Amino acid sequence: MLLVPAMTGAAGQKDDLPDGDGKTILLTSCTTCHDLTEVTKLRGFYTRAQWRDVIVTMKEYGAMVDEKQVETLADYLGQNLGKK
Amino acid sequence: MPTPSLQRLFTAGVLLALFAPAAFAQVRIVQTNSQGDNISLIDPATNHVVAEVKGVPINHGAAASPDGSRLYFSSEAEQTLHVVDGATLQLTKKIPLSGRPNNISISPDGRRVYVGIVSSPGAVDVIDTASLERVKSIPTKGGIHNVYVTPDGKYLVAGSIAGKLMTVIDQKTDEPVWTLFNEGVRPMAFETNPDGSTKRIFVQLSDFHGFAIVDFAQRKETGRIELPNDIPADKVDKGPFNASPSHGIGVAPDGKTLWVTSRPNARVYTYSLPDLKLLPNPVDLGGRPDWVTFTPDSKLLYIATENTDSVVAIDVAARKEVTRIKVGRSPKRNITMVRR
Repeated sequence: MLLVPAMTGAAGQKDDLPDGDGKTILLTSCTTCHDLTEVTKLRGFYTRAQWRDVIVTMKEYGAMVDEKQVETLADYLGQNLGKK
Repeated sequence: MPTPSLQRLFTAGVLLALFAPAAFAQVRIVQTNSQGDNISLIDPATNHVVAEVKGVPINHGAAASPDGSRLYFSSEAEQTLHVVDGATLQLTKKIPLSGRPNNISISPDGRRVYVGIVSSPGAVDVIDTASLERVKSIPTKGGIHNVYVTPDGKYLVAGSIAGKLMTVIDQKTDEPVWTLFNEGVRPMAFETNPDGSTKRIFVQLSDFHGFAIVDFAQRKETGRIELPNDIPADKVDKGPFNASPSHGIGVAPDGKTLWVTSRPNARVYTYSLPDLKLLPNPVDLGGRPDWVTFTPDSKLLYIATENTDSVVAIDVAARKEVTRIKVGRSPKRNITMVRR
């Protein structure tokens, strides 16, 4: 899943992402597959719709998120890493 | 009437003009940096980064025109194909794509660039390099991670992780011809017959530490080879690896060897061709390997190691590391460019 861990990624780095329902989903669904930087590298480039598109791709890859979580995550990433 | 010395000078000039293109062909390893906006160009004669392409945020795929006059890069961030002048390394055009791109490929005649579109429902975007416009999007089942043109230019081969499919597309009609697998399809490498047609495709798959062998004429998988587990357990990298423990594979241009990378083992393994016998002396890479590319003379191999921000240069014949070259952030895809 192309999403984020809470305090540490696989490399042990801290993140600067605020708490929230979206972050909770990130913590449980994402870094089993990839590092935090695979998400934060796209900071500021994507709209909410584009983040949602990424999440849908990851769900197709096998990420364990349900439809409601897709929307929550899209909100979270759009708000905190989205294009301003 | 020219003097003898002038005649000699003239003759030398003619000879220089005749042979200069071959003599001065310039080889560069083009290394993308997946978490940066720059691409590093390595001179294999010195193994130093000698130039950079800038301004391609979150670059993914790379391709070069056959004469090296142009470079093409896909940008995940901007969802564009960037066209770069091969001499000045300056951006000449950004071509909007139909969705979020992954890897790209170019036809052997340089007339078309193909871009894998990973976002749903998936496509291969076709770029005409004369007009520098997207002229078509070939629909696919599932987003496309990698797209290749077979060495003879007759087919496109598109791999989908989401669609769990490898699709072979006729390059003339842009129509799918056959498909294979029910697993996520990752990087591939091509072995050719003496006439240049495709003999076998070696295919890396999701969650498989090795590669599958596809007989192109028979249109079927004929076997799988798992990479050795030859690293002490406490030295094995546990990942995460994006569900792709083996994500880098290449046939040397001379067709004699197949090179396959392992992320858990941080090694590259070599198999002889055509018999696919594992050769001794795997090369330790010191990090998680990604894409591989060779110099045209098959003497050197370059492997990106994404978590060390470096590229490992390897002596192909000796199967030994030559040096490690620092590049940008999280290097992944790479190609070899020849400017004539």
